[in-house]
Amino acid sequence: MNLAHIDELDAIEMPDGFVWRPVRRRFGIRAFGTNAYTPGASGRVVEEHTEGQLGHEELYLVLRGRVRFTVDGNEHELGPGQLVFVRDPSLRRGAVALTDDAAVLAVGGKPGEAHEISAWEYVFLSTPHLQEGRYDEARQLLQEGLAAKPGSAPVLYNLACVEALVGAGDKALELLNESVAADERFREYAQKDEDLVSIRDDPRFPGAPA
Amino acid sequence: MSEGYEILTLDEVETASHRGSTLIPVRHVLGFRPAGVNAWIADTGGQLIPPHEEDSGNEELYAVVRGRATFTVAEEDADAPAGTLVFVPPEVSRTAVAAEDGTIVIAVGGTVGEAFNPGGWDSFVVADGHRQAGRLDEARAIMAQLIADKPDYWATHYNAGCFESLAGDADAAFEHLRRAKELDAEGASAEYFRGDTDLDNVRDDPRFQELLG
Repeated sequence: MNLAHIDELDAIEMPDGFVWRPVRRRFGIRAFGTNAYTPGASGRVVEEHTEGQLGHEELYLVLRGRVRFTVDGNEHELGPGQLVFVRDPSLRRGAVALTDDAAVLAVGGKPGEAHEISAWEYVFLSTPHLQEGRYDEARQLLQEGLAAKPGSAPVLYNLACVEALVGAGDKALELLNESVAADERFREYAQKDEDLVSIRDDPRFPGAPA
Repeated sequence: MSEGYEILTLDEVETASHRGSTLIPVRHVLGFRPAGVNAWIADTGGQLIPPHEEDSGNEELYAVVRGRATFTVAEEDADAPAGTLVFVPPEVSRTAVAAEDGTIVIAVGGTVGEAFNPGGWDSFVVADGHRQAGRLDEARAIMAQLIADKPDYWATHYNAGCFESLAGDADAAFEHLRRAKELDAEGASAEYFRGDTDLDNVRDDPRFQELLG
C-alpha cells in the first residue's frame, strides 16, 4: 500500500523558516496539487503569499497541533480538523505554529483547468541544495523543472543563480535575461540577490526597473 | 472575515449518510472547485470509506485527520494513525474502518489531465439527508441548483428522478427520469434504471416500463 505518515515525508526547510513536506511528489499525484507543511526555525508553517499569479483556490487543513492563520489581515487560531478555504487567489495568507507539533495539509488548483505541476515545486526542491553549495544537485532539479515547465521564469532565474555561483557568467546572464523576458518581476529581484554578485557589473546584466 | 475566504470546522458540518458511511460534505459546503474534497467520520468499528474503486484516471489521496483508521487497499490492510496519508491509484479497491471513536478521514480526488468536474454525488447525498429529515424544500433547492449547474448532464436528472421517487412524487420523478433518458446518448443509465433501489417506489408504475422500452 502506498502510504506515509506526515513525519515520514521529506522535510525541506525553506528560507522563510517553514518546512515543506512534498506530498504530491512523494506519491506521484498528477490530478491535483497537495503538500504538507510543518514549522521550522522561525515557527512559520505556511509561507505568507498570494496565489494571484497562479489563480489557485487553496484549502489548508490543520492536521495536528495549533496554528494561527492570517488571511487578508484577519487572524484565526485553528486546531486539528479545522480548515481555511481561500477562494480569492489575491488574498494574502500565511500561518505560524502555536505548538511545535503543528502540521498543515494544503490542496489547491486552478478551477476549470487540468492540474499542472507548479514551477515553484522545482525551485523549492533545489533551494536547500543551492544554500548548501550542492550546485550539481540544484542544477539537475531545476533542469528537470525546465523540461516540465519550458520557459518558466522562476526556474530560469534560479538556474541563473546556480550558474552565477559556479562562475559560469555567460550562461548565468543568458538565463537571467530569459527569466526577465518571461516575467519582469525578476528584473527587480535580480538587483539585490547575493547569488548574482559575480555577474552584476556585466553590461549584459538586466538594468533596474524604470 | 471577507467573502474571499472561509473557516470550516469539520465537527460542525452537518453529516449525511452514504452507503453505510457518514459523509462530512466539505466540497458541497465550501464550493471548492479544483478537486473533490470530502471527509468521513466514524466510531470504532464503523465504516469510514465506502468500499469502491475509482474510474480510470481518478487519483485519490486520503489523510487521517483524527483518531485511527484501518485501510484496506487491493485486499492489503494497513494501520493508519492520525497524520497518515494513503494514496490510491485508479481502478483499485479501497475501504477504511475506524479503529478509534471519532476518527475522521479526509479524501481528495481528481482526474489526471482533466479539470475537476463535480458529478454532484455529494450534493445529492446532502439533499437526500434533508429529504430523510423531512426538509423537502432545502432538498429540492439543492437538486434544482445541481440541474441549473449542469442542465445537459443525464446523471443529474437521473438523481433528481431518484430523489423524487424517494420523496413520493412519482410525476416529478418521471419527468426527471425521461429527461435523463433523453440526454443519455450512450445508454449508460440502463444498468441504473434496472437495479437502483431508489426507484423501487416507481418501478411498478406503467410509466416505468414505457421508459425502459
